[in-house]
Amino acid sequence: MARHQFALLSLAAIAILSSFWFLVDVLGVATQRSKAFGVSTFETRFDEFRKTIQPHAVYGYISDNSPNDPSALAEFHLTQYTLAPAIIKPSRTEELVIVNYHSKQLDGRLLMANHLAPFRDFGNGVALAKPEPTRTRKAR
Amino acid sequence: MTLLCLIAIWLGGFGLVRWMFPQPLRWSLHNISLFSLGVGTGAGVASCLYFLTLILAGPGYAPLASVAGAALVISLAPGLFAQPKAPALNWAEGSAIPWYLTALFVLAMALAVTMFVGAVTASPHGDEAAWSIWNLRARFLFRAGPFWRDAFSSDLSWTHLDYPLLVPGLIALCWKLANQESTDAPIAIAFLFALGTTGVLVGALGALRGKVYALLAGTLLLGTASFIALSAALYGDVPLSFYILATLALLCLQDRYPDNLSFCTLAGLMAGFAAWSRNEGAFFVVAVIVARVVALFRFHQRAAIVPQLIRILAGLAAPLAVFITFKLRLAGPNEYLSQPASLILKHLIDIGRWILTAEGMVIVLFNFGRFLIPIILALALYWYLVRFRVDARDRAGLATAGIALSLTLAAQLLTDILYLANLPLEVNTSFERILVQLWPAALLMFFLASGPLQLVAPKPPEKGSRDKKTGKAVRQTR
Repeated sequence: MARHQFALLSLAAIAILSSFWFLVDVLGVATQRSKAFGVSTFETRFDEFRKTIQPHAVYGYISDNSPNDPSALAEFHLTQYTLAPAIIKPSRTEELVIVNYHSKQLDGRLLMANHLAPFRDFGNGVALAKPEPTRTRKAR
Repeated sequence: MTLLCLIAIWLGGFGLVRWMFPQPLRWSLHNISLFSLGVGTGAGVASCLYFLTLILAGPGYAPLASVAGAALVISLAPGLFAQPKAPALNWAEGSAIPWYLTALFVLAMALAVTMFVGAVTASPHGDEAAWSIWNLRARFLFRAGPFWRDAFSSDLSWTHLDYPLLVPGLIALCWKLANQESTDAPIAIAFLFALGTTGVLVGALGALRGKVYALLAGTLLLGTASFIALSAALYGDVPLSFYILATLALLCLQDRYPDNLSFCTLAGLMAGFAAWSRNEGAFFVVAVIVARVVALFRFHQRAAIVPQLIRILAGLAAPLAVFITFKLRLAGPNEYLSQPASLILKHLIDIGRWILTAEGMVIVLFNFGRFLIPIILALALYWYLVRFRVDARDRAGLATAGIALSLTLAAQLLTDILYLANLPLEVNTSFERILVQLWPAALLMFFLASGPLQLVAPKPPEKGSRDKKTGKAVRQTR
């Protein structure tokens, strides 16, 4: 009987103690979570632009993240998630291109490097740009 | 409103399973099991109907509300008015229940709920793979109106266009009926599936082995941090684990009640929903059919093979038809199947990939569940102390579960070895998820095979009492 009780209690105790341990982790993350990055923050940034979105629209996308930055891909995914049902392509040749930037003001050099002309700045690091005319012709 | 929709879906599922297994409406193991099975049944049926309405009548509110309302009435009415008939699932006789086991189970449930709430409060949209795949698709289905097919645009190929629609379809259905988009829907769906999985495990083991095993397995499942974490991450793995568990539990119950083939029909339905929840579920469908035939053949129940298979296929037919329609009409190309044969062959003969996979699986087995002590060692200790003793009635069910889980795992690992370009990344990030899909069913198997637990000293027979079997007076000895 004692060995059966021990077997049962050891399994249950491991489960309960592990739960406690993980719960401490979860609550730690929940209380210390940085608000700088996340779906809600991203959606707030895109609030103004989201109001103009129409279904079936297609936008290009560039950002000032360096290509090796691990958050670059996550931010692209966040942009798509935020702006659905528009389709966002990692391309600079669409009629309108979303510019996701992190500086206080949109850096003109970023647009020039991508052969884009500014179209509208929504603030909060979100702007729309258009391909420069020569670039558009090439794309077509 | 979103939550009301989900409750209606749950009740619809309950009505359907109660129609198959009617018993009086009161607090009982039978009804706990039906309510738990109702989670997956309601979710699966609602999601399939949503998909069919979408492709046949478009995304308008009126056709969808009509279909949903009609389905609720059709599934609930016969279920509620069905006259009770056998079999009734009751707690199997077993050792007396020590008070602390019930307390530990309640504590484990409270901790799991707190963990879940903490995690979804921190990330209400779930983890990246959840919002960038499942919730994104739900947003397209809900927000795009007549352009809902944009959800499967080739420009979104990174969102895995071939993933089935049980979870996104259900989320979009709730949003559509509530006419409101909120994170409540995916969170509540995830919670219901976690709760339902626990309920099915406790219900099935309670009926097959008794309360001690049921509560112990439930405590262990609720104490599996990665099960709760993946559930709160809003992934599709916990719904798949629900359907795998439900299918195998129903087949085990079928062996206890061989005259009522409704268990097989419902098992087939659950297996079909497994395929509709994730692509890995399609492996499971094939595996469980093969496993059932082999198990019945091996344990000399050959006469039962054809009738059981017919019932399983009957249950499987509708969700499988929806799954195939989705694959043929909407789903994008499977990224694996589009790979050249030469590359697959190169992967096949690369011994390093096999070793990496085996090594990764061993490591995950020891780290699984974020337990403080490797759970595989704890289970080994339990086995050493209690041993296994399989009831002859459970052999076919146990063999079915063992073969089906092994084949499903093998198929998933083989797919990784043959097709994945970045295998080390998969080993590090996905092996735990794969095990979580199989974990509830593995717990069912383990405790179904467990030897008898003697936890409380048996009460001495009362003076003058009679032996139940022989009817003779019991003489007390000192």
